[in-house]
Amino acid sequence: MASHSQSEAENRKRLVALMTHHQRRIFSYIYTLVPRRPDADDILQETSLVICEKFDEFEPGTDFVAWACQIAYWRVRYARQKFARAKVFFNQDVLDAVAKTASDMSAELDDRHEALSHCLQKLNTRDREFLLARYEPGCGVRDAARRSGRSLAAAYKALTRIRKLLLDCVTHQLESEAAT
Amino acid sequence: MSLSDRDILELNELCDATVEGTLTAAQRVRLEQLLADSEDARRYYVKAMDLSASLGQYAGEMQMEAADVPSSGTHLWESKSVRWAALAAALALTFTWWLTSRPTDLAKSISADLPEYVARLTGTKDAVWPPAAAELAPGDFLRRGQRLSLKSGFAEVTFDSGAIVLLEGPAVFDVTSAWDATLLRGAIKANVPSQALGFRVSNRAVEVIDIGTEFSMFADDRGGADVLVLKGEVEAMPSGDEDSEAIVLQANESRRFARAGVTVSEDPAQMRARFSARVPLERQSDSVRYVQWSFDELQGKISPAKVAGFPLGDYHVKLIAPSPSVRHTALVDGFRQKALRFEGLSFARAEFPGLSGNFPRTIAFWVKVPNDSPLSGAYSMVAWRGDADQLASRPVHIGWNRQPTEGPLGAIRTDFSGGHAMGTTPLRDGRWHHIAVIFLLSDDPTAPVQVKQYVDGRLESNAVTSGPKRSVRGNVRANDNLSGSDRLWLGCRLGAVGPKKERFLGEIDELVVWDRGLEPVEIVALMDGHMTLATQRAD
Repeated sequence: MASHSQSEAENRKRLVALMTHHQRRIFSYIYTLVPRRPDADDILQETSLVICEKFDEFEPGTDFVAWACQIAYWRVRYARQKFARAKVFFNQDVLDAVAKTASDMSAELDDRHEALSHCLQKLNTRDREFLLARYEPGCGVRDAARRSGRSLAAAYKALTRIRKLLLDCVTHQLESEAAT
Repeated sequence: MSLSDRDILELNELCDATVEGTLTAAQRVRLEQLLADSEDARRYYVKAMDLSASLGQYAGEMQMEAADVPSSGTHLWESKSVRWAALAAALALTFTWWLTSRPTDLAKSISADLPEYVARLTGTKDAVWPPAAAELAPGDFLRRGQRLSLKSGFAEVTFDSGAIVLLEGPAVFDVTSAWDATLLRGAIKANVPSQALGFRVSNRAVEVIDIGTEFSMFADDRGGADVLVLKGEVEAMPSGDEDSEAIVLQANESRRFARAGVTVSEDPAQMRARFSARVPLERQSDSVRYVQWSFDELQGKISPAKVAGFPLGDYHVKLIAPSPSVRHTALVDGFRQKALRFEGLSFARAEFPGLSGNFPRTIAFWVKVPNDSPLSGAYSMVAWRGDADQLASRPVHIGWNRQPTEGPLGAIRTDFSGGHAMGTTPLRDGRWHHIAVIFLLSDDPTAPVQVKQYVDGRLESNAVTSGPKRSVRGNVRANDNLSGSDRLWLGCRLGAVGPKKERFLGEIDELVVWDRGLEPVEIVALMDGHMTLATQRAD
C-alpha cells in the first residue's frame, strides 16, 4: 500500500514536471487547430484530464509532446460537434494537414517562443504595453485600446502591424542564430 | 509552392482576423483553401497562431508577476495532495503560472515614442477651419491620430501610402495612420492607387477596404454612412455585428450602412454628382530642383550629372577605383541602359553644395544587391554628412539592414544620428529594386527627423526608431577638415573625415536627389522614368 502511494507520488511528480515543461507546446498545438481562445482552453483542460488518466500508458523516454498532442488531436476531433457553430473550424482535411504541420514544427516553435522574448524587448514601450494588455487574461482589444488611448480601429491596425513585426523579428533572429 | 509577398500579405490578414475572431465566412473559405494547397501557407499559419499563443503566455506572466504570485511551481504542487482530476483541471487553469519562474525582462526599451507624420495636406479650396483648431495650409504634415475638423470648403489629404482623400466640409476626419483613416462626419472621395492597396476608411457603421479603386463615403450625424464606388471595387464590412460579412461593391454600386443594417442608398445619383465636378485646389508650389545621375557613361573616372534648378556647378560623380582595370568594368547593364557597379573596393563621390544643410530631400535610385552579399557589403548605397544641428555632424547612410535583431535582414535602412528607419522587404535577391528615401529636417534642433522609405513605389516605413545622438566633432583633430561635407558618397561608409573601409556590394542606377519630399505618386512616376511627370499632378 505504501509502495503504491509512493509510486503514485512519483508518477504525479513526473507528470507535473512534464506538463510544466511542455504545456505551452500542447496549448499552441490545440490553439492552432481551434483558434478561439476559450475553446482552446476548454480542450486543453479536457486534454490534461485525459493525459492524467492515461499517464500510466506513457512510456518514459519517448516523446511526451507527441503523445500529448495525439491526445489533444483526438479531443479536437471529438469536440467538432460541440464547436461546429464556432466561427472558425477547419474541415477535416485541412485540420489533418495543419495538425501534421504543427506537429512537425513542434521543436521549431519552442525556439520561436524563446526568440519572441528578445523581440518583445525591441518594441517601443507604448507598443509593447499595448500588445501585452491585449493578451492579458480577461482583457480584450477594447480594453487595451482604451488603456493605450487608441480608437478601436486604430488598435486593430496597431495589432496587425506589431504582430507582423514580431513574426518577422523572430524569423530573422533564428536565421541569424543559425548562420553564426 | 513558396509564398509571394502578396500571399504573405493575404495570409497575415487572415491570421490576424482569425486571432481577433473577426474572420468572415468568405475569409474562412479562403484561409482553408490556402492551407489546403500549400505547406508553406500552413507553416506561416502555424507560426502566426503560435505567436499569439506565446504572447498570451508572456502577458499572463507579466500579470502574475505584477500580482506577486508564488514564483516556484514545485511549491504549489508539493504542498497539496491533489487528486488526478483536480490536477488536470489545475494544470489547465494555471496555464500561464508556470512561466512565472522564467526571467524575461520586458521593461527595457531601446526606442522611445516620437511624433509620427503619416500624411500631408496637399490642397485646399475655400477651406474654413474652426477657430479653436490650428489653421492648416497646403504642405502641412499631419500626425498619426490627428483630427481634421473642416467647417466648409475642400481639403485634400495625401497619405504616405499614396492614398489621396478629398474631404468636403463640414466634416470631421481622423488621420489614423498612413494606411487608414476614420470619417466621423461629412463626405470624402478616396483615390487609392495600386501601391496603396489595402487602404481603409472606417466609421461607426462600416469599414471600407479599398482594393484598388476610387470611392466616396458620406457619414451622417446619426452614425450611418453611404458608400459609393466610382471605379474598381471595395470590400465594405458593416460594423457592430460579429457575424456580419464583408460586402464587395463594384463600380457604380452603393450601399447605406447603419445600426439597423445594410440597405440600398436612397439617392446614389446625387452622391455621384457631389464629387463629379473637378475641384480646383490651391496647392503649395512645388519646386523643380533635382540632380540626376543616369550612370549611362563613364568618361575616365567621371559620370556626368543632369542638373535642374540647383545652382550651377560640377555635380558629376567621380569613381574612385583601386585600379584602371576595375574602373573599366565598373559600368554594367543597368535597370535603364548602364549602371554603376560597386565590387567591394570602389566608391564614388559627387560635389553637392549645400547637401550637408537642412533642406528637405528625396533620394531615389535603383539598386541591385547580390543574393549572397555578405553582411560587410551593407554599408552603404548612398551617404552624406549632415552638418545640421539635428544630425550632430554625423553621416546619414542609406544601406541595407545587417542587424537582424533590429529588423528584417537585408531590408532598406537609413541611419542617422539619433535613430534609424527600417524597411521590410529583403533586398538581397539579385533583382532591381527602386528605393526612395524622403529625409526631412527642421530648423528646430529638437524636432524629430522624418524619414520615409519606399521600395518599388510602396511605403515601407514612415517612422524612425530613436537611438543615441552623438557628435563627431569631439573626435576630429583641429587640423582635420570635414572633407565629407557637401558631398554625396556612393558605395562606402562615412567616418568623421571621409570614407571608412566598409564598402557596399551591388549596382546602382538612375540616382536622383530632389530638394523636397516627393509625393507617393511622384515616386511612382520616377520609377517609370518620368522626371517631368514627377512635377505634374492630375487633379
